[in-house]
Amino acid sequence: MTGTPRVRRRPEVGDPAPWRFPEPARAELPNGLQLLLVDLPGQHVLSLRVALRAPLAQEEPGREGSTLMMARCLDEGTRSRTATELAELAERHGIALGAGAGERRVHLGLEVTGRHLGTALDLLVECLAEPTFPEAEVTRQVRHRLTDIAHELADPTGRAQREFREAYFAAGERARVPVGGSTASVATLTPQMLRERHEALTPHGGVVVLAGDLSGIEDPVGLISATVGAWRPAGAPVDDGPRQSLRADDAARVLLVPREGAGQTELLLGRRGPDRRTPHGWGTYQALALLLGGAPHSRLDRVLREERGWTYGMRLGFRPRQVGGQCVVAGAVRADATLPALQETLRILDTPGSELGEREVREAADFVAMTAPARYLTADSVADELVSLLADGLGPDTVTSTLRQLRELTREQAARAWEEVRTGPGWTVVVVGDPEAIAPVMDAGLGPVQVAGASPLSPRPGSPPPGS
Amino acid sequence: MPLDLPVARRTLENGLQVVVSEDHAVPSVSMDLWVDVGSRHEAPGRTGLAHLFEHLMFQGSELVAEGEHMAALMAHGGRANATTSYDRTSYVASVPRNALELALWLEADRQGHLLPALTQANLDIQRDVVVEEKRQRYDSVPYGTALALLGGLVFPSDHPYHHPTIGSMQDLHAATLEDAHAFYTAHYGPGTSVLTLVGDVDVEEGLDLVERYFGHLADATRPRPTATPALPPLTAPVREVVVGGAEIPSERLYLAARLPAVTEPDFVACALAMDALAGLTISRVHERLVLGTEVVSGASASALGLRDGTSLGLLVLDVTEGVDPRAVEQQLATILGEFADHGPREVELEASRADTERSWLEALAGYDERAALLSRATLLLEDPGQVARYVDDVLAVTPEQVGAAAARYLVPDALATLVYRWEEER
Repeated sequence: MTGTPRVRRRPEVGDPAPWRFPEPARAELPNGLQLLLVDLPGQHVLSLRVALRAPLAQEEPGREGSTLMMARCLDEGTRSRTATELAELAERHGIALGAGAGERRVHLGLEVTGRHLGTALDLLVECLAEPTFPEAEVTRQVRHRLTDIAHELADPTGRAQREFREAYFAAGERARVPVGGSTASVATLTPQMLRERHEALTPHGGVVVLAGDLSGIEDPVGLISATVGAWRPAGAPVDDGPRQSLRADDAARVLLVPREGAGQTELLLGRRGPDRRTPHGWGTYQALALLLGGAPHSRLDRVLREERGWTYGMRLGFRPRQVGGQCVVAGAVRADATLPALQETLRILDTPGSELGEREVREAADFVAMTAPARYLTADSVADELVSLLADGLGPDTVTSTLRQLRELTREQAARAWEEVRTGPGWTVVVVGDPEAIAPVMDAGLGPVQVAGASPLSPRPGSPPPGS
Repeated sequence: MPLDLPVARRTLENGLQVVVSEDHAVPSVSMDLWVDVGSRHEAPGRTGLAHLFEHLMFQGSELVAEGEHMAALMAHGGRANATTSYDRTSYVASVPRNALELALWLEADRQGHLLPALTQANLDIQRDVVVEEKRQRYDSVPYGTALALLGGLVFPSDHPYHHPTIGSMQDLHAATLEDAHAFYTAHYGPGTSVLTLVGDVDVEEGLDLVERYFGHLADATRPRPTATPALPPLTAPVREVVVGGAEIPSERLYLAARLPAVTEPDFVACALAMDALAGLTISRVHERLVLGTEVVSGASASALGLRDGTSLGLLVLDVTEGVDPRAVEQQLATILGEFADHGPREVELEASRADTERSWLEALAGYDERAALLSRATLLLEDPGQVARYVDDVLAVTPEQVGAAAARYLVPDALATLVYRWEEER
């Protein structure tokens, strides 16, 4: 035993230290791209992000996934280098290059140590300006994407998401198909289609963010101006004005998806939610997500996990789109508890705003606000947040204003924000599980029920090998 | 040159090792407490207990009500989590500077005074939650059983790494409240723990605060088990086929190797060899099998560093639809043989080094992961300075050392193969 006495009294928590989201320096590059620079001393891996307008809604029907595939194939060959040469240049310098697509934008990202930033920028511009989309590489990437889709659908969560998209969105909506496309659409993609998507890329309305320790970089604005800022493609400006994806008229229903032998049932519920411009404040919904389904003591898990032991966790979140969005609840539950767990979930989700407590609202709002300094410590987190805000047409001061709003959030404001969701059009409920376990849901009086078709299986053995 | 990473270390009188790394970039502190208990410390018939404790530690302690640990931290902008592995259990919290004392107080209460709150009721509930966790993370996803099966192939049945961390559900159901109490007493205490603070705290203040809240804890843990001797590489290939039916999305190969313990200098050479073989786009497995013959749609490599004599190396290959996995195994064996004979190409080694440097710096960018790496280096390697030195260690490995490591540990005869197939092999 040592002489230090035990402290039995719980320590007081003082006031949080002042903190502000890092303020970026802004510049316009020669080609019209907006540049944001954030100097973060001590962040030795720099994060560069480029977001360019490329709305998915402009993909031709049947070619869904061409935008993402185009972005993924930018480093699969250029006029100057083969795919292998590009990979070698990147990997010899420890450059991690990534590409993705969202509802309205294509995103390119780089992680690189300061001393290789110049090489990384040259590489990025080469991929952006002169990709060739070689036949062999595109064919291989298409095949890999098809394999990825098979992997996604083999996972109960991925299967539930697919059924949900198709049940929730109206016929003809691009949002019914995943960003990366479906098995049918991806299989049709050709190098020429990717070239056409690439020709639509333009700096107009695009954003570049560089975050990290810039102390060793001489003239970062000049460096970026001479590389990404000098990219001048022939494409015309893209109109990506806001557009709401329509919900299906019959979206409020229960969809049962049989999955023979499943030891758990995957539940996925969704309904209309806000976008980031909501008059209730986006921060209000971040707090509601935590309060209802963000921790073991949140409303959902307090019962489903901690009291009943039915689940490893049931999560609630809000997914903003360009106009409107979704409130989504998801989790896997014990197979033999499928119906009671679903009923309990629906009951908790039907909690009127007026029953939300002063303390739980305050604590949830404080959590979102007070975790911000730790959330925005690293270069990649700051770069990701800024590029996502700007791509959504919001300013870099949005984080700070959201935190201010959260500090002043009242129980009444949170109640009104939740009521807007709760009283909106009904839940779309997807239940993926063993036929016997999910059968009781059929006659439980939860509204219109449908049973989905057979699960798409993996390709069978014996199909021809590639290239034969 | 080692990285510029300030690290202070002190051992309290009760045996608790404390590490503090100051960084005032944001007003936040990450705390990572590593306990020298993992699945390797479990007794036969009582597997899964180490991981179950990761759950029970959130169910209240002498002065903290059930569920309050997490709720109290979150109400002040803190986050908390825990993970269990073969060698250790890790309790992490990230808190605003002003809530650091609360976090230390809560942690000390459960690390030293859990038993008054460990009841049959919360044991039963958390056991159910763990069963659901296992179903969700291992049983319901394709290939979820792979790591458990590989442990069985690579390690003999009486070896501490033979069974998976999640444990046997049968064992968990058989565990009594007395077993749980005994497990806690045997393994949880200052003498088996390392506490790291990273962030907005001065060194002296950090060390004083830890003394204030943890200094009274008495250690009653059992001595750590004696080291298990290093296992030599397998001498003949082992192979197991899992028939996964049409539910598995692709046929897949896992190849597992016995590697040196993470404490051995050779481990770094092995990690680089795995990377050079299959960790990067320019690695030869990728170049020859993904881009060349296209018999594989994706390949990855990892070296899981373990302390007790033997680590685990893994190669994972997704077989292209229509290709017989046995043909892939043959092509891979040729590649491994060549690598063992000639060592890495210059580009493979340079790229592996560059990738390791960037990834290590990325890992150190945030306080949470920096704290985890410092606790790991202190508990497993007995030297927090390893974190600042690791990139230098990697750069110092020669191509000859990588080749020699591959020739000993990564030749076809030394590998266990696990194949997920749609149908029985004919």
